[in-house]
Amino acid sequence: MELSWEIILMQVIMGLALGAIYVLLASGLSIIFGLLDVLNFAHGTFYMLGAYATFVAISLCGNFWVGIIAAVIIVSLIGALFEMTLLKRLYGTDQIYPLLMCFGLSIFLPDIIKMIFGLVGKVVDYPSLLQGATFVDNLILPKYRIFLVVLMAVVLLALYLFMKKTSIGMIIRAATRDRLMVNCLGINVSRVWTVGFMLGVGLAALAGAVAAPMVQTIPNMGDEMTIEAFVVVVIGGLGSLGGAALGGLILGQVVSFVSLLAPDWSNVSIFLTMALILVLRPRGLFGEEGRD
Amino acid sequence: MKRFLVLTLLAGLCAMAFASAAPAAAPADVGWEFPLSGPYGFYAEEMKRGVEMAVDEWNAKGGVLGKPVKVLIRDSELKADVALRRMKEFVDSGIPIIGGNLGGGISMVINQWANKNKVLYMSTCHNSLGQGPDWGYYGFTTGIKSYMTGAALADFAFEKLGKKWMVIAADYRWGHDQVAAFLVKSKAAGGEFVGAIYTPIGTRDFSAYVPQILAKKPDFLVLSVFGSDLVAAIKQFGELGLSQRIKLALPKTAMPIMKECGSAYNENVYGAVTWYWTLYKKYPNAKPFVDAYMKKFNRPPDADTDSGYVGAQTLFMAMEKAGTRTDLAKIIPALENLKWDLNQGPEHFRKCDHVRTQTVVILQGRGAKAKGWDLATVIAEVPPSKTMLPCDVDRADSVYGPIRNKLPGK
Repeated sequence: MELSWEIILMQVIMGLALGAIYVLLASGLSIIFGLLDVLNFAHGTFYMLGAYATFVAISLCGNFWVGIIAAVIIVSLIGALFEMTLLKRLYGTDQIYPLLMCFGLSIFLPDIIKMIFGLVGKVVDYPSLLQGATFVDNLILPKYRIFLVVLMAVVLLALYLFMKKTSIGMIIRAATRDRLMVNCLGINVSRVWTVGFMLGVGLAALAGAVAAPMVQTIPNMGDEMTIEAFVVVVIGGLGSLGGAALGGLILGQVVSFVSLLAPDWSNVSIFLTMALILVLRPRGLFGEEGRD
Repeated sequence: MKRFLVLTLLAGLCAMAFASAAPAAAPADVGWEFPLSGPYGFYAEEMKRGVEMAVDEWNAKGGVLGKPVKVLIRDSELKADVALRRMKEFVDSGIPIIGGNLGGGISMVINQWANKNKVLYMSTCHNSLGQGPDWGYYGFTTGIKSYMTGAALADFAFEKLGKKWMVIAADYRWGHDQVAAFLVKSKAAGGEFVGAIYTPIGTRDFSAYVPQILAKKPDFLVLSVFGSDLVAAIKQFGELGLSQRIKLALPKTAMPIMKECGSAYNENVYGAVTWYWTLYKKYPNAKPFVDAYMKKFNRPPDADTDSGYVGAQTLFMAMEKAGTRTDLAKIIPALENLKWDLNQGPEHFRKCDHVRTQTVVILQGRGAKAKGWDLATVIAEVPPSKTMLPCDVDRADSVYGPIRNKLPGK
């Protein structure tokens, strides 16, 4: 196959957009693991809830942007409720218990969604502003994909500023390092955990909300996303926000170019990339050595 | 001595009781299984509803042979091992007839087991039971042979959509069957094949293929994937403007797919189905079926509902005709000679391979003009005489088999 510069450039753009979804999803997973030491097996479920909440919000208000914001808020609140009522009870126990709790939620919630919304998936249309593509000769510049890349950059910058420049961010970073010390300083760590969990699931919901126009919005849409988000986090290094960002972008490009050159390897390439990086650098790209 | 006599008497009574006891009645006449909890849950639920509607109809008029008919329905989870286990459970409990499934591969596994164990199996999905070595006397199917929808759509596409074509196909037997059908028809129609992309099941991002498709400039793109993959592909091709420039030909489509794609399922999208609900206007016998379904579920039935419905109907008709609910030596010949006129005009099972002689329906999307469940327009019906190969050719798999085994790009 002849690889023109247009094809290569388009492939890079498609890979960046795909990577943007991975980055949003994996950043949330990474924050939750870094802060709470919880392997959130329900992360894909919150991604799915984000898509459904967007559908509901758009049905009620008719505006895509309001729909996305409402979805993030609604799912974050559901996440907070889950964390405060169920997950919190399991902190301090063996890591397997919160993992099983999240896994249970990932089975329970899609069934509830099936009961409420039925088996036919829901339609979330592209916002009219971002429909279609701009054509430059043979080069296609899809508006929505470019929006996804910009959104990812804005969210990453906002996360960086939130973590580095705000007092809550600093407390979260401190609690990630040493919970006991933060507690001793008189800070309510329990509330920090809730905020951190809300932030994590909010990012998953955002990923689901912006992915909804591109994929099938069905109750099980998050199943594979949980696994792929874990792959990104493992590539980037467990608990590292920068690692999740880089891991997502790498994976987006890998899938995009493998789809072009050897499409039947596109799904496997995700796991081969993870295996390769783990062989070369067992703690992931930005993972800290010796972290439990 | 007295104690010995009492024990001997008790033992004798027990032996007599066992000897005279009638064999336990089977819990149902037919055991059905569908992958209700898998990713194809919607389609499985439709098949299940079709079966239940047939049961309700028969029981409303007194049942089969004067007794209410009873079925058991289980979830096969879209897993071959679970499907086989459920079938064994049915048969172990005394049920002699089994049916259902969605997924050609799983259907083939069940069919092989059923034939080995002399159990009647009524498959309800698109499959290849009548092809190659997989045919068996105990297997019937109301689902179509996989290549038939591809063949029907290919004839239509080369006549109406253009000659230059490309394909994206799911990388498994069903997807390969469609590519083989298009390649065979392409040669006959003077088509120009410009490339194939094979994708694993579960592919969600199809945008990465757009640059190479646009570079090859086909008149139409065959999109031989299904379920979530198909919805994602159509939505993304709509977003990127591909389906405004190039026509899409789908060897298998379904109502939820049209619904979930929204306006992206536009007038450039052509898909094949085995039945579509608006056909009741042409086939009046389908009207009570459509009306009853709409009354119960507030939307029209799909092709898979028809498949489950016809599967159960034909079994009950054959039982009635054979005068037995369990004797397969009579029920199978009754099925072989059965003729019915339900949702799509007169049909029967071909005696030589037990496959339903079914018409393929070609639909054109309505895009933004779609209203409610009026999602597509029927633009052609291709009768089985134009798509079904003779049984001996199918058994030898000599038309599509050699092509399928050497697919370009594999």
